Amino acid sequence: MTAFKKSFNIKKRDFVRAGEASIKIQNILKLLNMDQKLIRRIAICGYEGEMNVVMHGGDGILTVEIDIEKIMLDIEDNGVGIEDIELAMQKGYSTATEEHREMGFGAGMGLPNMKANSDDFKIESEKGKGTHVHMEFIVSAD
Amino acid sequence: MQVSANSMRSSHYITFNSDICIGCANCVKACPTKAIRLYKDNHACITNKCIRCGECLRVCPSGAISTTTYELEALQKDKVSIALVSPVLYSQFKGVMPNDILLALKKIGFHNAMDVSYYIEMYFYAVEEYLAENRITGRLPWPLISQVCPVVIKLIAYQFPDLLPHLMPIMRPLSHHAKETRERISREFMITRDAVTLYHITPCPAKIIPSMSSFSQEYSHVDRTMGIKDVYAQITGQLNKMKKTGIENLREESETQKISKSCLSWGISGGEIAGINSDKTLAVSGLRETITYLEKIEMGLFKDIEYIEFRTCPEGCIGGALTAVDKFIAKNTVLKMLRKFNPKPLIPRDKVVLPDKSGWGLSDITQDELQRIFGVYKEHISIEQLKEIEKILEQIHGKDCAACGAPDCRTFAEDVVMGKTELDDCIMLRKSEMDKILENKL
Repeated sequence: MTAFKKSFNIKKRDFVRAGEASIKIQNILKLLNMDQKLIRRIAICGYEGEMNVVMHGGDGILTVEIDIEKIMLDIEDNGVGIEDIELAMQKGYSTATEEHREMGFGAGMGLPNMKANSDDFKIESEKGKGTHVHMEFIVSAD
Repeated sequence: MQVSANSMRSSHYITFNSDICIGCANCVKACPTKAIRLYKDNHACITNKCIRCGECLRVCPSGAISTTTYELEALQKDKVSIALVSPVLYSQFKGVMPNDILLALKKIGFHNAMDVSYYIEMYFYAVEEYLAENRITGRLPWPLISQVCPVVIKLIAYQFPDLLPHLMPIMRPLSHHAKETRERISREFMITRDAVTLYHITPCPAKIIPSMSSFSQEYSHVDRTMGIKDVYAQITGQLNKMKKTGIENLREESETQKISKSCLSWGISGGEIAGINSDKTLAVSGLRETITYLEKIEMGLFKDIEYIEFRTCPEGCIGGALTAVDKFIAKNTVLKMLRKFNPKPLIPRDKVVLPDKSGWGLSDITQDELQRIFGVYKEHISIEQLKEIEKILEQIHGKDCAACGAPDCRTFAEDVVMGKTELDDCIMLRKSEMDKILENKL
């Protein structure tokens, strides 16, 4: 049995629609009767990921893969990329612009939040080329 | 078309008249939980997903959708009939004193009509206390969500169950009012509690009784409900009569009830948070807006907010589907009343001694119960079925035309996968089949 896979486009600087993909994923997971806490964790990760793309990334794609044992989120973009990933992973570190901060974003919690809420977290990035975040969530048996 | 009796139960509170229905499917598309299907011969069906928001009532252009209501004749059979009045009622009559409206209610047949001001103030104090306590204990997650709008509770239980712990566990003013009124009247007049019939005059379709769901019956302390629009004509007629004979003379014969400021503004969006002493509050009104905000809370936003007042009706309860006067006119009436009278609080804050937990007016329905009641009816699908849905959607390549009777192609595909309807009902598919046949002939 193959997993269910679906991709969503994320547009650069589209703050109004940011989060829509995560909501759609959330609704699918609810229909599948997944654990509520798990759904919420995935929603938070999806939203943070989308926000990162909207703020720093170019255009991006959010892909969800749903299987019986695990759920995977992949967020890829062709944006500015991250120079020092270790630094970017630190809580409170942010490269958000003044504009972002005025809108209430850019607290430097995005990546740490995603790591904290996922069961497996991988990030690859190259400056000037883009970033790829891969997250896995384990679906418990009950 | 196969409709299984279990999955498609009609909701008693709403009546569809298929003779008047023009089949526009506005209601089907407007329903936030996608609970309505329109079948052959404009036969509409509400599934048990209905959260009673009243959106279908609002969008119906032909008047085919109506709510059930009690007739005033019913009062004659009651031993003691009490009208518990929603503050929204005061906004429906421009330039009329709230006490005169209560008097008019008595004249059209109620033994008494009661104002809820006192309970609204008690509610505010209880909420403030709870917020203060929660700041220290952190027992419930921020932001806490107002429990006042019944549609919001149903929406959360149905669509956002993981937000249930956010609900402020304080009993609504109306429930509190009803509970204590029944106690008091039965004690004062030495009658059984059942002999007291409590009517609620309401703008809110979600409060309508009778209801199919066991939930409302368990939850409601009120016996019967009447929509404001259903008694509006009688009250207006009575008020006119009273004006002729001189309202001033009549006023003395009835006790005047004190109406507080918070009661008058209760029906407007923001009226609830206005009475609560916290800076970190929000008031959101409108169904789409409410859903958007709930989605955002679910994604971890608004943690810096302490209390959110949601009203699914536009502009708050004055925009309720059972009101008689347009919301903007009603809002003006309220604002002018506030300006003219500027009533004071009835109970000074420092004089209120909040008793122990049981006297707090804590809600008597638990989150587990809410979830049990709503969780039972929920339908789920498997990953395989999910894939099938995507396949059907590709096949249909539709335009959400709703000709099949479902609100959109995705919902139709879900219905097909769950075996509630057949793929044949899609006219887009039929059209492409026809095109193929024609092509082969040429």
